[in-house]
Amino acid sequence: MTNTSAATSLPEAPVLDIDPFSDENIENPYEFHRILRETAPVVFIEKYNMYAVGRYEAVRTVMSDFERFTSEGGVGLSDIRKPGAWRTASPITEIDPPRHTKVRGALTKVISPIVIRQWREVFAAEAEKIADRVVEQGEIEAVHDLVEAFILKAFPDVLGVDMPRENFLDIGEMNFNQIGPNNELLKKSLEKVEPILPAFQRAFQREAMLPGGFGEKIFEAEDKGEFEAGTAGPHVRSFLRAGVDTTIAGIGHTLNLLAQNPGEWEKIKADPTKVRGAFDEAIRLQSPSQVMFRTTVRDTDLDGYRMAGDVKVGSFLGAANRDQRKFVDPDRFDVDRESAGVHLALGVGHHICIGQMIARLEAECILGAVARRVKRIELTGEPRYRLVNTLRTLEHLPLRLVAA
Amino acid sequence: MPKVTFINPDETRVELEVPVGTSLMRAATAHGLDGIVGDCGGGLTCATCHVLVQEEFLPNTPSMTPNEEQMLDFTAMGRQINSRLSCQLVMTEELDGLTVRIADPQL
Repeated sequence: MTNTSAATSLPEAPVLDIDPFSDENIENPYEFHRILRETAPVVFIEKYNMYAVGRYEAVRTVMSDFERFTSEGGVGLSDIRKPGAWRTASPITEIDPPRHTKVRGALTKVISPIVIRQWREVFAAEAEKIADRVVEQGEIEAVHDLVEAFILKAFPDVLGVDMPRENFLDIGEMNFNQIGPNNELLKKSLEKVEPILPAFQRAFQREAMLPGGFGEKIFEAEDKGEFEAGTAGPHVRSFLRAGVDTTIAGIGHTLNLLAQNPGEWEKIKADPTKVRGAFDEAIRLQSPSQVMFRTTVRDTDLDGYRMAGDVKVGSFLGAANRDQRKFVDPDRFDVDRESAGVHLALGVGHHICIGQMIARLEAECILGAVARRVKRIELTGEPRYRLVNTLRTLEHLPLRLVAA
Repeated sequence: MPKVTFINPDETRVELEVPVGTSLMRAATAHGLDGIVGDCGGGLTCATCHVLVQEEFLPNTPSMTPNEEQMLDFTAMGRQINSRLSCQLVMTEELDGLTVRIADPQL
């Protein structure tokens, strides 16, 4: 941070009169993203009393510089520390180091890469079963028949949570609406989940953990004192919040982009290990988690613009991931781009997505199982997106799978 | 350009020129050194770019973030006194001549 006298001579972040959460901008955010990136490194959006950043470097800074941009006000638009907040805090995403470091370490132990790799056979077996079924069908609605069928089986099984599978999607919609503003979309999704909320609340209590799942291990770790008392349930809820909808979204986007880019599909056919590159490239281009928030700790500045303290900052990950300052030909889907670890779809810094190797393994298993059986995938209609404040995900993806 | 020597698990040595600012993980995977996997691309979530740093170079390496510190406990080979994740070893002039042994196994 520059000193105060220098900072006060800097211009204020310009006002941008665009609603990132209008139906139009949720359905197709890319024009908003372009204007956000081109206007300034940081802008102010009056309607929500928030700053917004969309350039790659600015998003990296806001996401990771916790001394200036804290997570303790919550990763959504509403400040969880203030009255009237419309979402409840997570015990992992919404704390800063050094508190965060200990919690992250304990969670890393529960889902370490060594643990995750042991799930490969389980995921692969399920993926093969589903791939057999959809290839047999030929013409499918891929979001429901393929992606949700796989993820809603694979992920809750390893987490070891007993919740009716059909509840997951509405709960996810609620969660990702809550990260955004308290608008009509949120209101509608809250009404929709009302009858299933008690079941959701039960799903992350100790009694609901199935033997052998990592949810149970989180409770055991709490018993050993590795987590603060009473936080195991909220940790499990964090995995339910973060691990289902984003992965469904990412795999859906990958299938959509492969169907629309036959040249890239050919590369996958020639070398099926490239499904991993395809998945990371898809979440770069169509970032499932579109925006994450931080809060300015005090007055500060960013790339030559002044920012006031105690104001929310929306980091538009999806905008940063198409910043031409960082990515050559940013709108092109390129399975060989090696965008893993470069794109910001999974966040960056100490809060980077802790479950990303689970998502990659799931994607690799299901996409690989399809790629081995199918000669071509073709769109048979217009893909449609779901309207959710902060989640970019497909609602409808009609595909024809042409068997090899 | 500064140079780094990688010792493969089969004891063969590969010397690479690594541009300042590039991580050893990126340099190794770009040159097809199979011993470095680097599944997550440098996000400190996979622990598959594990190397053992020649001890006289340890003081010149950048300090560890808490995330790296935690992930080293979950490397497939197991943590050694001179273990690092090579995605965090970003090349500097001071690291010219660095030698690292590629951990085995990574998965």
